[in-house]
Amino acid sequence: MSTDAPPESTTQRRADTGSARRARDSQNGQSKRESRQNQLRPGDGPMVVFDDVTKQYGSDAVAIRDLSLSIESGEFVFLVGPSGSGKSTFIKLLIKEVSPSKGGLWVGGRDLNRMRRSKVPYLRRAIGCVFQDYKLLTSRTVFENVAYALQVTGESPSSIRRKVPEMLSLVGLSEKGSRYPGELSGGEQQRVSIARAFVNQPRLLIADEPTGNLDPETSIGIMQLLYRINRTGTTVIMATHDRELVDKMQMRVIELGDGVLVRDARNARYGRPQRAVPTGDEAGSAEDAS
Amino acid sequence: MRPRFFLAEAVRSIRSNMALALAATVTVLIAIFVLGAFIPSFLYVQSAVDRQKEKIDVSVYISDSAEVDQVNALQAQISGLEEQGVVREFTYVSKDDALAAMRERLDDPTILEELPSNPFPASFEVKLTDPENADEVIVAVEEQPALDPDEGIGFAGDTADRLLSVAQFIQWSGLALILILTVAAVLLIGNTIRLSIFARRREVEVMKLVGATNWFIRWPFVIEGIICGLVGALLSVGLLLAVKLAVVDRLVDDASSQLTEEQTTSIGFVTLAVILLAAGAALGALGSGLTLRRFLRV
Repeated sequence: MSTDAPPESTTQRRADTGSARRARDSQNGQSKRESRQNQLRPGDGPMVVFDDVTKQYGSDAVAIRDLSLSIESGEFVFLVGPSGSGKSTFIKLLIKEVSPSKGGLWVGGRDLNRMRRSKVPYLRRAIGCVFQDYKLLTSRTVFENVAYALQVTGESPSSIRRKVPEMLSLVGLSEKGSRYPGELSGGEQQRVSIARAFVNQPRLLIADEPTGNLDPETSIGIMQLLYRINRTGTTVIMATHDRELVDKMQMRVIELGDGVLVRDARNARYGRPQRAVPTGDEAGSAEDAS
Repeated sequence: MRPRFFLAEAVRSIRSNMALALAATVTVLIAIFVLGAFIPSFLYVQSAVDRQKEKIDVSVYISDSAEVDQVNALQAQISGLEEQGVVREFTYVSKDDALAAMRERLDDPTILEELPSNPFPASFEVKLTDPENADEVIVAVEEQPALDPDEGIGFAGDTADRLLSVAQFIQWSGLALILILTVAAVLLIGNTIRLSIFARRREVEVMKLVGATNWFIRWPFVIEGIICGLVGALLSVGLLLAVKLAVVDRLVDDASSQLTEEQTTSIGFVTLAVILLAAGAALGALGSGLTLRRFLRV
């Protein structure tokens, strides 16, 4: 039960990114207020808290029902469940694309119910987002796509010229900066999307079916990339259908079914199931049935 | 850095959506051209009407048998009206003057030779500050004994009324037309830009997901609108200049006897050009700024 605390190395790395960020902020001459707005600082509290959240579309379509859970800083969480189980709504709630019909929702210590509309862009800058369909700007090059996330926050051109290549080399696309998304394979496009999501050094990264359109081999590459990002201290929430991948990773698994929390199993990071609420097999067969 | 970034974004967006940018520009071109052709024409007609209104005057005919005292009293009466600002100026026209004037107006003045005596009465020709004042003058001099009992007061009442109502009609219909044209132009541009934004709404959606504020997304579109508006207005100003040089100026030269004599004034071309350019830019900015609002609610 005590293994929620991130390993030593993770804490160390997080401290590193923190100081790097401070250095960067002072370099840009950004106001402290703005840089604080662009980062999630949950303090000692959890990164994400759902408190009895219900999301209803219209009068009868309930997408999420009475959901309560919390996700700690630095965790890697799989969000699983069949189509229509509420995964997409879960993610839309986190980036305030939709608001809860009922219940409390906190992201990085911020109360999303009390967040003004005008502050939503700042929330989204603080959260990296990766989507199944990549959501790249097709009329812009790979470099420009990653740069856009920085331009949005008012980064100087010189720091953009420095950071974007760093990020492209992290995702293994150093050579393709001047290509357009249409000229890349699906896996490469997803890497661009990850680079864009991570270039602002968010504390929370959300991936909605990032491997949904990719073959298994490419999926593993993407998965490894997300895992590496998680290892820097970033909380990662990944919605997926990919059972094989989830089994392989042995991470915390949150399963939704018809908008209700079906299973929340925390597995130890080094391959040992911490405590099987329902066993993995049972859950697996339940998934197969649906 | 920001203005340069937004300008670069606007130019990029124009380049990647050349066809739509062109459509918006041509729309502005047409709207501004019509506006640019209409404004000076309207002002010209307006000024011509004003000139005509000035010409409406009242003739107060003096009886041949009037005493000098009576004529003086009449003159004093009209002088009083002049001091009140009702009458702009008035002149005395003697019987001989009237005959001479008539002689000049006739093609064949020899007819006048056959007259046994001068039948034309002397008169005060009264020019009004405003044609609407005619009634006041008529009421004031009506009872004067010096007034010619047969001729009385000469005032082209019907003509004046008709001219006044025509002037008013031109004024109101002109304003209405300008209003309609402006609204039509805004709608057309808005529609064109809506098409352009609709084509890029996925892009806008992505920008919002990455955390762009509404103004961060809006500025390039607004600048794009201003560029299209300015280019369209510039082209139409060029076109108007060509029309002016080729058609209007020549027409004025040909008909100089009739047109310049009137001293009708319109608007200077430079002033017009500045107004049209500003209107084009405003149309573009408004069109895109307003249209974008719907698409920013992601």
